[in-house]
Amino acid sequence: MLGFPLAAVAFSLVIFVIDAFVNIHIAIAVLYVGVVLLSLNFCERTGILAVTFGCISLAVLALVIQHGFDPSKEALARLLFSVVAITITGLLIARISSTTETLRDQAELLDLTHDAIFVRNMNDVITYWNRGAEKLYGWTAQEALGKNSRYLTRTSLPAPYEQIRQQLFETGHWEGELVHYKRDGTNITVASRWSLQRDERGVPAAILESNTNIEDRKVAQEKLMHAQSELAHVVRVSTLGELTASIAHEVNQPLAAIVTSGEACLRWLANGTEHIDRVKLGLERIIQNGQRASDVVRRLRALAKKDDFKRADLDLNEIIEDTLPLVQREILRNRISLTLTLAPNMPLIQGDRIHLQQVIINLLVNAIQAMSDVAHDRRLVIETTVNDEAKAVVSVRDNGHGFAPDQQNRLFGAFFTTKTNGMGMGLSISRSIIDAHGGRIWASLNEDGGATFRFCIPTQTELVS
Amino acid sequence: MVARKTSASETPKMEPPVVLVVDDDASMREALNDLFGSVGLNTLLFDSAPALLQSKLPDAPSCLVLDIRLPGVSGLDFQSQLVSSNINIPVVMMTGHGDIPMTVRAMKAGAIDFLTKPFRDQDMLDAVAQAIDRDRKRREKDKEMADVRALYDQLTPREREIMALVTSGLMNKQVAAEVGLSEITVKIHRGHVMRKMAVRSLADLVRLAELLDLNPGKISRV
Repeated sequence: MLGFPLAAVAFSLVIFVIDAFVNIHIAIAVLYVGVVLLSLNFCERTGILAVTFGCISLAVLALVIQHGFDPSKEALARLLFSVVAITITGLLIARISSTTETLRDQAELLDLTHDAIFVRNMNDVITYWNRGAEKLYGWTAQEALGKNSRYLTRTSLPAPYEQIRQQLFETGHWEGELVHYKRDGTNITVASRWSLQRDERGVPAAILESNTNIEDRKVAQEKLMHAQSELAHVVRVSTLGELTASIAHEVNQPLAAIVTSGEACLRWLANGTEHIDRVKLGLERIIQNGQRASDVVRRLRALAKKDDFKRADLDLNEIIEDTLPLVQREILRNRISLTLTLAPNMPLIQGDRIHLQQVIINLLVNAIQAMSDVAHDRRLVIETTVNDEAKAVVSVRDNGHGFAPDQQNRLFGAFFTTKTNGMGMGLSISRSIIDAHGGRIWASLNEDGGATFRFCIPTQTELVS
Repeated sequence: MVARKTSASETPKMEPPVVLVVDDDASMREALNDLFGSVGLNTLLFDSAPALLQSKLPDAPSCLVLDIRLPGVSGLDFQSQLVSSNINIPVVMMTGHGDIPMTVRAMKAGAIDFLTKPFRDQDMLDAVAQAIDRDRKRREKDKEMADVRALYDQLTPREREIMALVTSGLMNKQVAAEVGLSEITVKIHRGHVMRKMAVRSLADLVRLAELLDLNPGKISRV
């Protein structure tokens, strides 16, 4: 780093010696311009101006040494010519220096952020790579510059690249989560923000990409999701506990039918072989009822299973029909008349079957319990529709005791319950489940008594459009 | 046998008994249909209590096999309804899981048996056979009662009066004094009563009077 000042001093000495002691009648002092130019490498604005002034002084001193205090007109003209040249160069260089300083300050600021920031041109070649990027990815700026960013980091995009580029050209921005590979071969998830830089003619010139490491956030989020599923499981199992009597009956009924059919078959057989058709009929019934019992057990096992959130294409109508048998008995026992209005051709939604079943069971059990103090004509209406926003809506309507208007906002809060032995977790869990599906759950009071609980979930058709 | 029209009292024995099954579960109904069919019993199947009440029941010895948990009216309530509306079909109660209060209530209301599903076929068949037997006896008794009542209805008011007094243990002479007739007239009336009531001895007449729950005080009001 000492090279530039030394060179400048040596160069000025040489110029000064020739200028002061060799009589060659040319404007040798013009060469000080070189010294001023060299100063750009080691001086800032004021330094450059000082060097310029120094060079002018040396030129004047040399003139005095060679020509005394009465120089010829030609010598004065040569000096004037040199001084003008040095001054102009000095001023220009000083201005360039201050611009470079600003740029360098800005670059340092970019280096100070923890985010990884890099700029790539329209061919994805990296042209800037900040310290944050060095730290995050492990490649130094020197290693990264000139490389293709997508190959270097093996970027996995959440959408086709062409689609992202199109959005970038249209709006100038793009945001999303990316997976990048680091130098050590491990991958990280980053929240990425891209902004498009255009040149003065408005042609896209470069993309500034700023990436934040969200690996920790993601891990925390996953932990939270996991904790939520655990809690959902506990609530689910406790809800199933409330339904034990109903479910036991639901399994026992086909078993009783199997036993009776089996015994009837034996009796038909004991009567001789001429009633073989009755025996066949009985056996078919046994098989049917065996499957029926095992269906109930399968549903139950699925609900009791401890599982993390899984996404699949689901038909809400089918889920409701699959859930009803578990609460059917409870509906019958409480002498409730059930109306089921399922929208035909329900569009598919994305979600977790078990969790949605849990929400439906929860709403049904709440509705049944809300009607327990209604003397007669208990009505439960389950309806599915598709609303204007192409969202799938499930509504569960009862004519029970409803809730106080001031409870409306607290209904879905944790530990809020109107039941004497309730945990107050059902609706709270239901809400987090529906939230996780990108949907909404809400309750309203009916004009003619009772409450209606609804939830809506985005459908595939909505997502496509 | 006291009644003359013996054929009438024997007809019920020839009528095939019918088991009325009320269960909301179709497969259980079918299985019971199979079981009763295998021992030659006729069945009528109903999915609810109102369905049974709305249909015309057969005039034959029958019994009711009733699930305790029914949609709408429960089995126990239905049993009470039957008792209060004087329908005397014996009831065999079935339940998924019976608790003691339920059982007590059912048995107090006159259930023949209380079976927990799944039950042994023999238990069910025994209960049903017992129920049908009880119903058959009741029907026979009802029939005899109806026959006696029909005979009794043929008597004149005076003959009814005489019958009550005679069967209460009074001598002809005492009866005559009681009603203010001659002993001869009482004897003639008494002969008419014996003939119309189709009995040969006073003992038989006394039995019929007991059946009809006669006493002199009652008769005077007729």
